[in-house]
Amino acid sequence: MAYREKIGWLSLFAMALTFGPYFVLVAMHVYPDAALPDVRQLILFGVTAVAQAFIIGAGHLYFRRSSPDEARMPPDERDRAIMQRSISSAYYVLIAGMIMVGVMMPFNSGGWKIVNAALFMIVTAEVVHHGVAVASYRRQAS
Amino acid sequence: MTGSVSNRIRVLRFLNGEMSQVELGQRIGVTRQTIAAIESGKYSPTLEAAFRIADVFKVPLQEVFTWDANGAAGQGA
Repeated sequence: MAYREKIGWLSLFAMALTFGPYFVLVAMHVYPDAALPDVRQLILFGVTAVAQAFIIGAGHLYFRRSSPDEARMPPDERDRAIMQRSISSAYYVLIAGMIMVGVMMPFNSGGWKIVNAALFMIVTAEVVHHGVAVASYRRQAS
Repeated sequence: MTGSVSNRIRVLRFLNGEMSQVELGQRIGVTRQTIAAIESGKYSPTLEAAFRIADVFKVPLQEVFTWDANGAAGQGA
Protein backbone atom coordinates (compact mmCIF):
# COMPACT_ATOMS: atom_id res chain seq x y z
CA MET A 1 0.00 0.00 0.00
CA ALA A 2 1.35 3.45 -0.93
CA TYR A 3 2.45 5.66 1.97
CA ARG A 4 0.00 8.40 1.08
CA GLU A 5 -2.84 5.90 0.86
CA LYS A 6 -2.03 4.83 4.42
CA ILE A 7 -2.19 8.49 5.48
CA GLY A 8 -5.57 8.79 3.73
CA TRP A 9 -6.94 5.77 5.61
CA LEU A 10 -5.52 7.15 8.85
CA SER A 11 -7.29 10.49 8.35
CA LEU A 12 -10.60 8.78 7.55
CA PHE A 13 -10.22 6.51 10.58
CA ALA A 14 -9.40 9.46 12.86
CA MET A 15 -12.40 11.44 11.66
CA ALA A 16 -14.77 8.49 12.03
CA LEU A 17 -13.50 7.85 15.54
CA THR A 18 -13.67 11.45 16.74
CA PHE A 19 -16.09 13.59 14.76
CA GLY A 20 -18.45 10.63 14.20
CA PRO A 21 -19.39 10.44 17.91
CA TYR A 22 -19.24 14.27 18.14
CA PHE A 23 -21.96 14.75 15.53
CA VAL A 24 -24.03 11.87 16.96
CA LEU A 25 -24.00 13.63 20.35
CA VAL A 26 -24.82 16.97 18.74
CA ALA A 27 -27.68 15.42 16.73
CA MET A 28 -29.05 13.74 19.87
CA HIS A 29 -29.17 17.20 21.51
CA VAL A 30 -27.12 15.95 24.46
CA TYR A 31 -25.66 19.41 24.33
CA PRO A 32 -28.50 21.91 23.82
CA ASP A 33 -28.33 24.53 21.11
CA ALA A 34 -27.52 27.31 23.56
CA ALA A 35 -26.16 30.72 22.73
CA LEU A 36 -22.41 31.17 22.45
CA PRO A 37 -20.33 30.52 24.49
CA ASP A 38 -21.50 27.15 25.83
CA VAL A 39 -18.74 25.64 27.98
CA ARG A 40 -19.98 22.06 27.61
CA GLN A 41 -20.04 22.39 23.82
CA LEU A 42 -16.60 23.99 23.88
CA ILE A 43 -15.22 21.13 25.98
CA LEU A 44 -16.81 18.52 23.71
CA PHE A 45 -15.32 20.19 20.65
CA GLY A 46 -11.93 20.62 22.36
CA VAL A 47 -11.76 16.96 23.38
CA THR A 48 -12.77 15.89 19.86
CA ALA A 49 -10.17 18.09 18.18
CA VAL A 50 -7.38 17.00 20.56
CA ALA A 51 -8.32 13.31 20.12
CA GLN A 52 -8.22 13.69 16.34
CA ALA A 53 -4.84 15.44 16.47
CA PHE A 54 -3.49 12.72 18.77
CA ILE A 55 -4.67 9.83 16.54
CA ILE A 56 -3.27 11.49 13.40
CA GLY A 57 0.01 12.37 15.14
CA ALA A 58 0.47 8.86 16.53
CA GLY A 59 -0.43 7.33 13.15
CA HIS A 60 2.06 9.53 11.29
CA LEU A 61 4.75 8.59 13.78
CA TYR A 62 4.00 4.89 13.40
CA PHE A 63 4.01 5.02 9.58
CA ARG A 64 7.21 7.07 9.52
CA ARG A 65 8.95 4.52 11.70
CA SER A 66 7.63 1.49 9.83
CA SER A 67 8.50 2.82 6.35
CA PRO A 68 10.99 5.72 6.70
CA ASP A 69 12.12 5.66 3.04
CA GLU A 70 8.59 6.05 1.70
CA ALA A 71 7.84 8.76 4.27
CA ARG A 72 10.87 10.79 3.16
CA MET A 73 10.05 10.54 -0.53
CA PRO A 74 8.26 13.63 -1.91
CA PRO A 75 4.92 13.02 -3.67
CA ASP A 76 5.46 11.72 -7.20
CA GLU A 77 3.40 12.61 -10.29
CA ARG A 78 0.69 10.03 -9.52
CA ASP A 79 0.40 11.25 -5.92
CA ARG A 80 0.09 14.84 -7.17
CA ALA A 81 -2.57 13.88 -9.74
CA ILE A 82 -4.58 12.04 -7.08
CA MET A 83 -4.13 14.95 -4.65
CA GLN A 84 -5.34 17.42 -7.28
CA ARG A 85 -8.43 15.33 -8.02
CA SER A 86 -9.32 14.76 -4.38
CA ILE A 87 -8.82 18.40 -3.38
CA SER A 88 -10.92 19.71 -6.26
CA SER A 89 -13.73 17.28 -5.37
CA ALA A 90 -13.62 18.39 -1.73
CA TYR A 91 -13.54 22.06 -2.77
CA TYR A 92 -17.04 21.89 -4.31
CA VAL A 93 -18.42 20.21 -1.18
CA LEU A 94 -16.82 22.85 1.02
CA ILE A 95 -18.05 25.76 -1.10
CA ALA A 96 -21.62 24.38 -1.20
CA GLY A 97 -21.51 23.84 2.55
CA MET A 98 -20.15 27.28 3.31
CA ILE A 99 -22.81 28.94 1.15
CA MET A 100 -25.47 27.00 3.04
CA VAL A 101 -23.99 27.74 6.46
CA GLY A 102 -22.82 31.30 5.92
CA VAL A 103 -25.54 32.65 3.64
CA MET A 104 -28.70 30.69 4.44
CA MET A 105 -28.46 29.53 8.06
CA PRO A 106 -28.10 32.99 9.71
CA PHE A 107 -31.73 33.70 8.68
CA ASN A 108 -33.20 30.82 10.68
CA SER A 109 -30.50 29.56 13.11
CA GLY A 110 -27.84 30.83 15.41
CA GLY A 111 -25.19 29.98 17.99
CA TRP A 112 -23.81 26.47 18.05
CA LYS A 113 -26.18 25.29 15.31
CA ILE A 114 -24.21 27.39 12.81
CA VAL A 115 -20.86 26.44 14.34
CA ASN A 116 -21.70 22.73 14.20
CA ALA A 117 -23.11 22.97 10.68
CA ALA A 118 -19.88 24.66 9.54
CA LEU A 119 -17.84 21.96 11.30
CA PHE A 120 -19.97 19.26 9.68
CA MET A 121 -19.34 20.70 6.22
CA ILE A 122 -15.59 20.98 6.87
CA VAL A 123 -15.46 17.37 8.09
CA THR A 124 -17.58 16.23 5.12
CA ALA A 125 -15.19 18.01 2.73
CA GLU A 126 -12.25 16.31 4.47
CA VAL A 127 -13.97 12.92 4.16
CA VAL A 128 -14.49 13.56 0.44
CA HIS A 129 -10.84 14.68 0.10
CA HIS A 130 -9.38 11.57 1.74
CA GLY A 131 -12.11 9.26 0.42
CA VAL A 132 -11.45 10.21 -3.21
CA ALA A 133 -7.69 9.83 -2.65
CA VAL A 134 -8.04 6.39 -1.07
CA ALA A 135 -10.49 5.26 -3.79
CA SER A 136 -8.07 6.45 -6.49
CA TYR A 137 -5.15 4.58 -4.92
CA ARG A 138 -7.29 1.43 -4.53
CA ARG A 139 -8.47 1.62 -8.16
CA GLN A 140 -4.88 1.80 -9.41
CA ALA A 141 -3.51 -0.85 -7.06
CA SER A 142 -2.30 -4.05 -8.69
CA MET B 1 -13.64 7.56 -26.73
CA THR B 2 -11.73 4.31 -26.98
CA GLY B 3 -8.03 3.60 -26.98
CA SER B 4 -5.46 2.46 -24.50
CA VAL B 5 -1.75 2.64 -23.78
CA SER B 6 0.02 -0.65 -23.32
CA ASN B 7 3.61 -1.09 -22.24
CA ARG B 8 6.49 -3.55 -22.16
CA ILE B 9 8.01 -2.42 -18.88
CA ARG B 10 7.80 -5.88 -17.30
CA VAL B 11 9.68 -7.41 -20.26
CA LEU B 12 12.26 -4.62 -20.31
CA ARG B 13 12.86 -4.98 -16.59
CA PHE B 14 13.46 -8.70 -17.14
CA LEU B 15 15.85 -8.01 -20.00
CA ASN B 16 17.76 -5.57 -17.81
CA GLY B 17 18.81 -8.08 -15.21
CA GLU B 18 15.38 -8.43 -13.59
CA MET B 19 15.47 -4.81 -12.48
CA SER B 20 13.11 -4.33 -9.54
CA GLN B 21 10.16 -1.93 -9.54
CA VAL B 22 11.81 -0.14 -6.61
CA GLU B 23 15.03 0.45 -8.57
CA LEU B 24 13.18 1.66 -11.67
CA GLY B 25 11.06 3.92 -9.49
CA GLN B 26 14.14 5.40 -7.81
CA ARG B 27 15.79 6.05 -11.17
CA ILE B 28 12.84 8.00 -12.55
CA GLY B 29 11.69 9.57 -9.27
CA VAL B 30 8.43 7.76 -8.55
CA THR B 31 7.31 5.19 -5.98
CA ARG B 32 7.25 1.42 -6.47
CA GLN B 33 3.44 1.56 -6.39
CA THR B 34 3.41 4.03 -9.26
CA ILE B 35 5.63 1.74 -11.35
CA ALA B 36 3.27 -1.15 -10.53
CA ALA B 37 0.26 0.97 -11.59
CA ILE B 38 1.97 1.98 -14.87
CA GLU B 39 3.04 -1.60 -15.57
CA SER B 40 -0.49 -2.95 -15.09
CA GLY B 41 -1.95 -0.20 -17.30
CA LYS B 42 -3.95 1.35 -14.46
CA TYR B 43 -2.10 4.65 -14.58
CA SER B 44 -0.81 6.48 -17.65
CA PRO B 45 2.44 8.30 -16.85
CA THR B 46 3.22 11.84 -17.93
CA LEU B 47 5.21 12.25 -21.12
CA GLU B 48 8.25 13.21 -19.04
CA ALA B 49 8.09 10.04 -16.93
CA ALA B 50 7.54 7.95 -20.07
CA PHE B 51 10.70 9.40 -21.63
CA ARG B 52 12.61 8.80 -18.42
CA ILE B 53 11.55 5.14 -18.37
CA ALA B 54 12.65 4.72 -21.99
CA ASP B 55 15.94 6.41 -21.11
CA VAL B 56 16.59 3.98 -18.25
CA PHE B 57 16.21 1.03 -20.63
CA LYS B 58 18.12 2.86 -23.42
CA VAL B 59 15.35 2.25 -25.95
CA PRO B 60 13.10 4.59 -27.98
CA LEU B 61 9.78 5.56 -26.38
CA GLN B 62 7.73 3.49 -28.83
CA GLU B 63 9.51 0.35 -27.66
CA VAL B 64 8.17 0.91 -24.17
CA PHE B 65 4.70 2.32 -24.81
CA THR B 66 2.30 1.58 -27.64
CA TRP B 67 -1.08 3.09 -28.41
CA ASP B 68 -3.94 0.75 -29.27
CA ALA B 69 -6.74 2.81 -30.80
CA ASN B 70 -9.29 -0.02 -30.43
CA GLY B 71 -8.43 -0.96 -26.85
CA ALA B 72 -10.40 -0.07 -23.74
CA ALA B 73 -9.91 3.50 -22.55
CA GLY B 74 -7.11 3.92 -20.03
CA GLN B 75 -7.89 5.01 -16.50
CA GLY B 76 -5.36 7.82 -16.28
CA ALA B 77 -4.79 9.43 -12.88
